[in-house]
Amino acid sequence: MNPPREELDALLAEYRSSLPEKLARFDALLAAGRTAELVQELHTLGGSAGTFGLPRVGAAARAAEEHLVACGRDLDPARRAELERLLGILRHEACEV
Amino acid sequence: MAAQDKRVYVLTAKGNAELTSAKTSLGEAELKLLVMIDGRATVEQIAKRMQGADVAAVAKMLQALARAGHIADPDGTAALDIKAFLKEVDSSVSSLQANGFFVRIARRASERPKPGQKITVMVVEDDPQLAKLLRTYLQMEEFAVRVAATREEITKALGEAPRPDLVLLDVLLPDADGFEILEKVRAHPQVKNVPIIMATAKASREGVLNGLRRGADGYVTKPYDMQILMTAIKTVLDLK
Repeated sequence: MNPPREELDALLAEYRSSLPEKLARFDALLAAGRTAELVQELHTLGGSAGTFGLPRVGAAARAAEEHLVACGRDLDPARRAELERLLGILRHEACEV
Repeated sequence: MAAQDKRVYVLTAKGNAELTSAKTSLGEAELKLLVMIDGRATVEQIAKRMQGADVAAVAKMLQALARAGHIADPDGTAALDIKAFLKEVDSSVSSLQANGFFVRIARRASERPKPGQKITVMVVEDDPQLAKLLRTYLQMEEFAVRVAATREEITKALGEAPRPDLVLLDVLLPDADGFEILEKVRAHPQVKNVPIIMATAKASREGVLNGLRRGADGYVTKPYDMQILMTAIKTVLDLK
């Protein structure tokens, strides 16, 4: 049994409209060097976006999360640049929805 | 006679501690078995002593006790258990990768809902929007839903009446490790039998091994496919 279409549409619209705030928070966490929190929040987005019918956003979030986890605490300029590139892709995918 | 019927087990320090502990995490049947482990009796003999209990069922329970480290086989007769366990892990990973879920045998919670009472599913999810979506779907399936996101909320939600009939537990939480929560639930006398489905973004062998070793009843992959999730939940709860 599926929930009424309008209820699902409302939840999806709410989710989509929350994406810019989430992306702004990622930028703030990165700027503050709070990478552990950034990993957690990217993980959360990676797990939820696909469920809300946004698999590309989810995949981009997971790619950024995996890169950050692989970097560990050592976020040197090259790794940071790669992270920013991946966050750029995520931003692009989020803007497309 | 199956080879497993001739196995002989001994009690480990962990098993001995469980027997002497005032707060044992084991059920009555498991404790009864532990008492009979003396390093001499075979699985078949133990089954006979239990008023002719089914040998295969007793062997399975003993294997579970061996996996949990409560008993061990001094001469290696139960070494096959590990192989069987790893085989189960591999088959579970394959199913998880191919189908998005796998579940073990249905586990009955210690208390079933009273007639007219809804089955309660506890969702451990830190994303409030995803939790809302899961709640919506689960309520449509006539489940009562309880959501928890943090360690503190999990503890509170597990203790609330009625006890949850199933827990959907995310592996990675902001302030808690899902495997650690699973282990604590399994060690808790009041909620140890509650079925738990782990939700994971990665269908890794290590993750599945971790979950099965600690007593998970199933796995689903994230992002959720709602149809798959509902199937997994109903299968674990043995609902038609």
